Amino acid sequence: MTYRDRVVAMLDEGCRFGGLYASGAIVRTVLVAPGGALRLESVAAEDDRVPSLVDVAPAAGWDEREAADLYGVRFDGHEPLRPLVEHDLDLDSWTVPVRGDDAYQVAVGPIHAGVIESGHFRFHVVGDKILHVDARLFYKHRGLERAAEGRSLAEGRAYVQRACAACAVSNSVAYAHACEEVLGLQPSAELARVRTLLLELERAWSHLNDIAAVCAGAGLAAGNTFFAALTERARRLNDRLTGHRFLFDSVQVGGSSLSLDSAAVAAAREELASIAADSKSGWRELLFNSSFQDRLPDIGVVSAGDARTLGAVGPAARASGIGDDARSHADRLAYGLFAPVAPRRVTGDVQARLEQRAVELLQTFDLLDDLFDRPIDPSEARAGSEGARVGLGLVESPRGGTLCAVEHANGRVARVHLRTGSYANWPVVARAAVGNLLPDFPLINKSFELCYACADR
Amino acid sequence: MLTLLRTLRRLRADVALPAPSRGRSLAVRHVDAGSCNGCEHELTLAMSPYEDIQRYGFGIVASPRHADVLLVTGTVTTRMRGPLLAAYNAMPVPRRVVALGDCALARGVLASASEIVGPVESVLPVDVRVPGCPPSPAAIAQALIDVYET
Repeated sequence: MTYRDRVVAMLDEGCRFGGLYASGAIVRTVLVAPGGALRLESVAAEDDRVPSLVDVAPAAGWDEREAADLYGVRFDGHEPLRPLVEHDLDLDSWTVPVRGDDAYQVAVGPIHAGVIESGHFRFHVVGDKILHVDARLFYKHRGLERAAEGRSLAEGRAYVQRACAACAVSNSVAYAHACEEVLGLQPSAELARVRTLLLELERAWSHLNDIAAVCAGAGLAAGNTFFAALTERARRLNDRLTGHRFLFDSVQVGGSSLSLDSAAVAAAREELASIAADSKSGWRELLFNSSFQDRLPDIGVVSAGDARTLGAVGPAARASGIGDDARSHADRLAYGLFAPVAPRRVTGDVQARLEQRAVELLQTFDLLDDLFDRPIDPSEARAGSEGARVGLGLVESPRGGTLCAVEHANGRVARVHLRTGSYANWPVVARAAVGNLLPDFPLINKSFELCYACADR
Repeated sequence: MLTLLRTLRRLRADVALPAPSRGRSLAVRHVDAGSCNGCEHELTLAMSPYEDIQRYGFGIVASPRHADVLLVTGTVTTRMRGPLLAAYNAMPVPRRVVALGDCALARGVLASASEIVGPVESVLPVDVRVPGCPPSPAAIAQALIDVYET
């Protein structure tokens, strides 16, 4: 069977597209099996060409465009292969042509009106109605993956961490898992626990921030301020526990040096219980605020079919009824018998995405309460398997499944690729906006609250 | 809604931020020139009840046309150099530039050399430098207060 036939067969078996990247003259595709297993398929480019997958896996669209721009791979069957990271080409080359009576374009960004990362959106509209959106990101492209090459595996972690402060732990754990697979290491139970704890601390502040952001998007200042204050408390707790408000440097390859005595653990548990209680009371206020609730339903709808086709992940996918959550089958973490939660209405709109955050937040506080039941000791990964040529890690970040692939040569990074939940979901944001009013785009965008930094890298 | 407002009033009393020494104001425009999103998240929380930079008269404004201060985060990428200069050139004079965070100051930047231009001061004259990875909301509030003295 050819590379493409093997990928098609796996998709037919129910695998989902997990990512694609170029490594020298080889293109590698990662698929995620229904049980969470990661499968890797590789193909060598001939005359810089490989068969495209976009017709069978539309979620590969951005990955192929990125590999074309940064590594010069051409994808047979991907027509037109629009530039993504390359910004020097003219407008017609990267936008989808939209023509018709009264159709015109509204260009927004890269600099936005609030405190927002840089990125450009090209709206094709008639009046206020959005017909199509071309998202042009990568204004913040820093070449982090290339910069990491040649570093030791331990040093390489800083590059994926710095890809995005908001996903620092998720990116670092995915990287650590990939490196440990390369080295044939398996995390001990204590290492799995501390990493799970850090991942959930990241999710806690992130989901609080996202609820605040939707309040801001709907113009509810009191709700925004309330949840911003809770976000601040969560970040202060991070600082007390690890010495950094975004938990920087708390995840290392091969082990953990974090040590928390019983008093520190008890204090953390108490503060988390207090934040959880306040967030519940704040959430109840949001539920009973009719003018706020009125802004949420039927805006930015993503159908289950679109979510699946476009490869949506994380809370955004679950709010559309795609239940996949990497925590359900994270055998290198301490999630136990994890089952994803769902909101009252799985309608794929702004309301569902907001409620998804709220119910996941409660689950996160419960998980943290369990995980903080005893002091934390330094821990390490142990030799447990044979090393691998390519190591893979998939972690559920606050924004969805984040994949990291690591290839090494003599203990140094030969290639690292990071495909974050934000990267997977940006094309979904563009789809969610179609048919809505232009003034609703900020609210739709906030309901995803994706990072630009970890997409751009 | 009443519970939200009551809780916020209690929080403000608990935090007990000092009153500003005198009435002043500055309009601030933020530009992300290539950050990791950490400075943005901290800048956002500089407006939470715990720092509440609005009480010093700072407001984040939607356009550089309305701004006294350009607050720049991140190392300047090749793709953001043009938009950053456009924002600066759109500002009325007098104007001040704040370089926020270690990347903006070229400290410990991780990047491929070919994708970045350099620190903010390689593109614009910088008046106030705020180190930190990222600077805390308190450090951001203090840096903005310092702008009054420049």
